[in-house]
Amino acid sequence: MSGWTQFKAILRKDLIRELRTRDMLVSMILFVLLAMIIFHYAFTVKEGADLTYFTGGMLWVTFIFAMLLGLNRSFAQEKDEHCLDGLLLCPVDRVTIFFAKTVGNLVFLLIIQAVAVPVFALFFVQRSFLGDLLPFLAVLLLADIGICSLGTLLATISMNTRSRDLLLPILLLPLLVPLLIAATGATTLVFAEGIGFGSVVARLLVLLGFDAIFLVAAWGTYDFAIGE
Amino acid sequence: MKKLLSAPVLFAAAGILLVVGVVLAFWYSPIDASSMGFSQKIFYYHVPIAAAALVAYGVAFVAAILYLRSQDLKWDRLGYVSVRIGLLFSILVMATGMIWGKASWGVWWAWEPRLTTYLLACFLYAAYWVLRSVVDEEQRRATYAAVFAIIAFIDVPITYFATRLMPSGLHPVLSGLAGSMAVSFGICMLGMLTLMTALIKRDYEIELIKDRVTDLKTSLGG
Amino acid sequence: MTVAEGAKYVAAAYAIIMAVIIVYYFMSSRRVAVLQRDIQLLESEVKRQTPAPGAE
Repeated sequence: MSGWTQFKAILRKDLIRELRTRDMLVSMILFVLLAMIIFHYAFTVKEGADLTYFTGGMLWVTFIFAMLLGLNRSFAQEKDEHCLDGLLLCPVDRVTIFFAKTVGNLVFLLIIQAVAVPVFALFFVQRSFLGDLLPFLAVLLLADIGICSLGTLLATISMNTRSRDLLLPILLLPLLVPLLIAATGATTLVFAEGIGFGSVVARLLVLLGFDAIFLVAAWGTYDFAIGE
Repeated sequence: MKKLLSAPVLFAAAGILLVVGVVLAFWYSPIDASSMGFSQKIFYYHVPIAAAALVAYGVAFVAAILYLRSQDLKWDRLGYVSVRIGLLFSILVMATGMIWGKASWGVWWAWEPRLTTYLLACFLYAAYWVLRSVVDEEQRRATYAAVFAIIAFIDVPITYFATRLMPSGLHPVLSGLAGSMAVSFGICMLGMLTLMTALIKRDYEIELIKDRVTDLKTSLGG
Repeated sequence: MTVAEGAKYVAAAYAIIMAVIIVYYFMSSRRVAVLQRDIQLLESEVKRQTPAPGAE
């Protein structure tokens, strides 16, 4: 079985398993929508407060915390059902497992975002940013890749410790700060001012660099993270 | 040669360098012409400590790689000790940085690149510590810690560049050092790096002694 | 900022550095002392037990 076939098989297994029951997806979508409502009440203390320059921040904080929940849930499930142990018994390259899981998580995040972003725009974004859709999607995808790749690597580690799901935020959040800075900056620009591709380029480059560097780092270390 | 690089000798060397450095900083180097004035003197220790913290984290990074390749636990000990010293120095960077900030800008805290990066480094390596404390099995603990040490070290410069995207022009940029300032600064830098090396070496030897104690206890049947 | 005002801050900064490093050094010295004592006890215990290897 070639690496690519193995990758597709593992990815398919994870996607089908979740799409069959959909509990994780539904819970994460509900969480994200609820978070937006809470943000509104948390920040509009003054009458007619303008949250335009907070939009990027609110959006990405919501997605990152949703992914923390999702990663914890999916890896806890794997561990309790011993799926990972079964997988490790097969002659699969560990890195293939990493990429399959990362892409799986990426797909879930994209599904959630497809629902959440329009609702968010309805609640918080004044100007129509359809003209800037391409840069926005680029930011979305690049940031998602960073969150999912680091998240998968660290969730693999944290699930095998005593603290399990408590540990993941502590490990992941400090690492994601540069990504958060770049993503929120770019997103806020799109939502607030809608300048063309130009001003968002610096931040896109940071995200690209972040993704490239950490994908390589995760690829190099995942063998060790997934353990004996 | 081995004797020359032993911890006590390194401490003595560090002590001499740091004392000479600080004396030169106050009596030989001029008071800074910029608005910072006298409070700029903090930089002679503040920047070397910052550099030493990064070097300590770098040592942990290298030790992590060496551990993953050899599975020899002594590299894990070295990594653990280096992170601890790095954390100690990072806390000192922030403390002196805040004092300097209060002196020159009038505020205790500002969200500017360098302070923020060291703050995040503190959290990153505190996470390293937490990770170590929740894994009971030795080899697994060392492996996870090594993976995280590698990822964390890569993240520090990225964080620095990313924070520079944020608007803030507060941190004093030291553009070029006048000759007499450079001498004192160089000596302080050397002194801090030597101090860092001495502390790491000493702590590392302590860890090896601790391992020996554990071995003795197990061979005696607990 | 006059020298007098600045001196307060500078002194505080250097004092903190010295204090923290010295405290850290002495804390680890205490640890070393405890470990050395443990080693001596354990090594004498090992010496005491080895003359009778067959008896184990």
